[in-house]
Amino acid sequence: MISIDGTLVSEGAGGVYGERMIGEYRVWDPYRSKLAALWYLDRSVDLAGDAVVLYLGAANGTTVSHVADYVEAVYAVEFAPRPMQDLLVVAGRRKNIVPIYGDATQPQRYAPLLEAVDLVYQDVAQPNQAAIAIRHMPFLRSGGRLILMLKTRSVDVRKCPEEVFADTCGELEAAGLRVVAAVWLLPYHADHAAIVCERV
Amino acid sequence: MYWYGAGTDLSTDPAEVAARLRAAKTDMTTYVPCDWRQAQQLGLVRDRQEYLEAVRQATICMAEEGIAAAAQEKDVELLQMVRTLDEMDTVINLLTERLVDWYISITPSFSRKYRGSGAGAARLLPMIGKKGTEPMKKVAKEILSMSAARTSLMKEVSRKAVVVIPNMSALVGGLVAARLMARAGGLAALARMPGSSMQVIGAEGALFSHIRTGTPSPKHGIVFQHRRVHNAPREVRGAVARALAAKLAIAARLDYFRGELDAAFVDAANARIDGLMGTKMRTETGVRK
Repeated sequence: MISIDGTLVSEGAGGVYGERMIGEYRVWDPYRSKLAALWYLDRSVDLAGDAVVLYLGAANGTTVSHVADYVEAVYAVEFAPRPMQDLLVVAGRRKNIVPIYGDATQPQRYAPLLEAVDLVYQDVAQPNQAAIAIRHMPFLRSGGRLILMLKTRSVDVRKCPEEVFADTCGELEAAGLRVVAAVWLLPYHADHAAIVCERV
Repeated sequence: MYWYGAGTDLSTDPAEVAARLRAAKTDMTTYVPCDWRQAQQLGLVRDRQEYLEAVRQATICMAEEGIAAAAQEKDVELLQMVRTLDEMDTVINLLTERLVDWYISITPSFSRKYRGSGAGAARLLPMIGKKGTEPMKKVAKEILSMSAARTSLMKEVSRKAVVVIPNMSALVGGLVAARLMARAGGLAALARMPGSSMQVIGAEGALFSHIRTGTPSPKHGIVFQHRRVHNAPREVRGAVARALAAKLAIAARLDYFRGELDAAFVDAANARIDGLMGTKMRTETGVRK
C-alpha cells in the first residue's frame, strides 16, 4: 500500500467520485471506505500488484476504483441496478474491472465467468454474511485471503455487535478458514468489524 | 462449462456468452474456476490482456441488459413519483413555516392565536402573498405554485397506482398503496412481505424500540393513513389494521404475479374489514341503550 505522510493513497486517474488528489495520487478516505479504514488500523493489509480480487458488494465503485489501482484485476459483483449504473461508468475508465451484475447469494449464476482469485473482499449488507462468504470459497485459491466487512446491524439488530462478531468468526472457522485478524473499524465506522481470514 | 463455451460451441461474443450463462447450471460442489490459459490454448485470446477485455465486454453487455430490464419494471417510476411527492410535502411545509415566521417578525401586532379553527401556516400564505414585502411575495408565490405541482403529482400517483397495483389500490386507495410500495422498496419486495410487516411499514421507529426495549408494539404504520383505519373506533383500530394488512399482503401478491384487478377478492376483503368495524359499532350502540 502506498502512503504519503501517513495518508493512504492509490495511483491512478482521479475524478472518480470527487476524491482529493496529492499530486498524481488519489487520497483513499477511511471514513468513506472500510478497506481504507482497515489499513489505518492494521498496516499489514496489502494489495499485491499481481493479485486478482473478487469484490462482493461493489456498490457505486468507490472502493473498487482504489482496489483496481493496486491489483491486476477486480471481479466486482453488484446486485442493485442504480449503483450498478455508476459501477459501469467506473469500469469504463478502468480496464481491469470486470463488473458483474449478479446476486452474491447465488454465486453459481456467475461462476462460469470467474477465475481463481487471491482475495475475496466482501462488503454486503445481508443477515447471512458469513454464509455468503463461505459460498464463495471455491473461487479462492488455497493460501488466499478473505476480508469480510461485517455490518453487525444488518445481521441482527437485537443482538449486541460483539455477539454477532463472535458468532460470525465461529461460522468462518467451522468452514475451515483461519481467522488471521479481526478489527473493529472504530473510529471510522460504527458497529462494523473487519475479519481477515486465510484459506488453508 | 465456462463463459467462453466448450466443445464446438466456442466464442467470446457478448450475446453468445449471455445466452450460455442463462443456460448454465453450475454445480458449486464440483466447480473449478476458469483458467485463462485454457482460453488461450483454444485460440480464443492471444494473451492475458485480451482475456480480461473479452470477459469484461461480455459482463458489461449483460449488466447493461440487466439494468435496462430492471428499469422496465412498471413499479420503478411509481416509486420515484411517490418519493418525490413526499419530499415536496416536506419542502413546502418547511418553507411555509419559515415564511410565516418571517412575516410575523416584522408584523408585531400579528399572532396566530384565535384565528379560527385552522390557523395552519398554509392558510396564511395567500395573505402573505398580498400584504408581505416584495421578497416575501415572491417566495409565497413560489410555494403556491409548488403546492399546485404537488396536487397534480398526487393525482398522477393515484392514477398510476390504479394501473400498477390495482388490487392494493382498490383496498386502500392509490396514494396509500403507492406509499406502502415505496417504503418496501418496490412491488417485488412488497409481494414477499408478510401481512404483519405490512401492518407496521412506516412505524419502524416504534417497531424497533418495541423489539429492543419492549415498549408496546405499534398497531399501524402507513396503513393508518387509510380512512377505515384512522376512522375506526380506538378499540378495534388495531384489529382493523391487522385484517387490512393481511388482505393487503394478498393483494400485493395478486398485483405482482397476476397484475390485474380481482373484483371478487376485493369485494370479499372489503366486506371482511367493514364487518369488523360493523360488529364493534353495533355492540357499542347496544351498550349505550
